[in-house]
Amino acid sequence: MTNLSFHEKSAIGTLIATWIIGIFYFHSAWELWQAGQLHPASNFGLAAGLTVLLVIVLVAYHILIAVTGKPEEEDERDRLIAWRAGRIGGFVLGFGVVGIVVQILIGGMLDDPLAGSPVLIANALMAVVFIATIVELVLTLVFYRRGI
Amino acid sequence: MGSSNLDNGVRALRDEHDHMTQQALAEAVGVSRQTIIAIEQGRYSPSLEVAMKIARAFGEPVERVFWFAQS
Repeated sequence: MTNLSFHEKSAIGTLIATWIIGIFYFHSAWELWQAGQLHPASNFGLAAGLTVLLVIVLVAYHILIAVTGKPEEEDERDRLIAWRAGRIGGFVLGFGVVGIVVQILIGGMLDDPLAGSPVLIANALMAVVFIATIVELVLTLVFYRRGI
Repeated sequence: MGSSNLDNGVRALRDEHDHMTQQALAEAVGVSRQTIIAIEQGRYSPSLEVAMKIARAFGEPVERVFWFAQS
């Protein structure tokens, strides 16, 4: 990792940690739902606990890479990559949120009970945020490696 | 993505200037060493400002450092 910039190392670590903890979260939520135990309180506890874990892991990781290699100041290439990856991630987030809103409205018109479930709506929104974040991080790494 | 219409002679000019290191050029220009590497490899076309700073670091006109690739 010696030829990687601080920003690339940051993106790699954030991608891996977000992917592992995100998959664990959705797997756990799915199992709770299958068992009929996915209630707002249990869902909140799961989400809050794993969010705190993710923050701790990312802080520790960034301290580690800052200590082992001097962080460079962000330059124009870093800013351009962050902007382009963030822009595409933002599109994914926007389309996902609109898709969920449409799903809720159509489900409401059809009296689908799932469309009115706060826990399912919350998880659908979290899934969209998760996917948009992964897309942004993957694109960040692609832009750093393949060019922009 | 990843392709550039610009070619450059940054690597050759570094060699001409006492084998200036990528780090030294990066510090002179105010970008990271990885950005200099990306420019040399054609993975990044810098802004006009950075292109001018690179040219100034070598004491050369900017068109000697960057030029349009022949298609």
